[in-house]
Amino acid sequence: MLAAGLLLVGCGDLTDDLNPSDKDQRPAVTAGSSGYMPGQLAPDFALQTSVAGEFQLSDYLSGGSQASDAVVLYFTMWCPICLAHSDHMYNEVIPQFRGRGSVVYALVDYVSGSVAVARAAETANGYAGSEFVTLVDAGQAVMDQFNAAMGTVVVIAPDATIVINEDYRNGEALTESLDGLLP
Amino acid sequence: MKAARFQALAAAMAALACSGQTWAASCCGGGSSTSLVLPKFSQAMIDVSVDYERYDGFWNSRGDWVADPPGADLKQYRLNLGYARRLAPRWQASVSLPYVWNQNQYTGFERNTHGVGDTKLSIWYEQFDKVACVWNVNRWEDLIPAIYWGGTLTVPTGTSPYDDVADNFDITGLGMYRLDANLLLDKTVYPWNATFSASYGTYLERPVNREYGNDVEPYDRQRGDRVNTLLSFGYTYFTDRMESLTATVGYAYLKERESTIDGVIDPTSGLRKQSLSATLAWATDDRDWVTKLTWSHAIDQDGWGRNFPTTDIISVGVSHVLR
Repeated sequence: MLAAGLLLVGCGDLTDDLNPSDKDQRPAVTAGSSGYMPGQLAPDFALQTSVAGEFQLSDYLSGGSQASDAVVLYFTMWCPICLAHSDHMYNEVIPQFRGRGSVVYALVDYVSGSVAVARAAETANGYAGSEFVTLVDAGQAVMDQFNAAMGTVVVIAPDATIVINEDYRNGEALTESLDGLLP
Repeated sequence: MKAARFQALAAAMAALACSGQTWAASCCGGGSSTSLVLPKFSQAMIDVSVDYERYDGFWNSRGDWVADPPGADLKQYRLNLGYARRLAPRWQASVSLPYVWNQNQYTGFERNTHGVGDTKLSIWYEQFDKVACVWNVNRWEDLIPAIYWGGTLTVPTGTSPYDDVADNFDITGLGMYRLDANLLLDKTVYPWNATFSASYGTYLERPVNREYGNDVEPYDRQRGDRVNTLLSFGYTYFTDRMESLTATVGYAYLKERESTIDGVIDPTSGLRKQSLSATLAWATDDRDWVTKLTWSHAIDQDGWGRNFPTTDIISVGVSHVLR
């Protein structure tokens, strides 16, 4: 019955989970190329914030009007896992780096679709007025640009190089990358 | 003749009490299915059910209940196919396979996906040969419950975050093998019934080299051990034709410890959920057909869960016993 069921639904890509691989399959990256993978340069983007301001990535990179030492993007849909991650970032990671340069911590809301709804979600989850800026990715263009999903964290260096782009997991990679970037 | 009739009825009631035990599975991705327990003196059983699960907020990592974003409408439908077969007088095995449909709608986003869920393979051992259901308690032995010992292997046939998926909305399974040890105690003194079930599950560690379609530096992930318990009480009404209608209320508790990543605890993981359920089951006079309707409700209040969605689940199913 099991075999028949699987055949019926044409599920041909089961081995990823049934026999998972530990091979490193990351493709080689050309330094200086534009893209979403670590080692590549993040393309510039502009999004509205939840308080109706505008966030332009290049403004926070080297040469920008508000140049910072790192930009952290976290992609949220305001779900339990998302909140567990962003709470952990807020309570455990951010405090470690206060006083060490300047970091932009941004929650990228890719489900709300409007400034008003994103603001409501941000407020309901206790982040209004916090160190996070919430970006409204209404068309999911930035999500697609970084090939992101729920829980993806991206760290961008001042020269636009992507340092990490992966699931947040336990925040260790974020902590290590900020430790390497900040003075 | 009367004794035989009572014996058949007792067997049928055992079927009714035992066949509907459910162990709820995860969300944020993964689906649920039914562990089937075959009635005594029967050879096989087919079980088909449909679940409708509606998401209504969640408990955050502090255990506070939080509403979903405004305009969110999140649902999951599951078609569960199950088959149980007797291997020996006290041994039985079963398999259940869900097919999952995800419907996620936000104010700025809508996504509908579907796929196979995780498969469960179970084996059960019955402690006693005799039927433990009685009409009257005349001696202390009459209080001994039916005891079933079981083992369940969850096979990650569903779509997980580690498959080649676009995003989390494609997920229909957890991507991990899990071994559960199960205990089921059931006592019926007609027309009353009480059931307690418990399972303790351990996930197998697995390597991960891809997340949501992106290749990543390989690491090992293991979800935390899982405890699942259910306590239920039921009452059965018999018609003149000996058809039966059983009403059951239950309380379920689910807890999963934190995951580890390369052996290090992930403090953002782990979950807890408490829920209440009500079931109506209608059985034919020969008890070969049982139709069930279950409503499972998670309490949307602080402290009733942690790190987990709050949902209502309505299940409609039918079981057919093959003698």
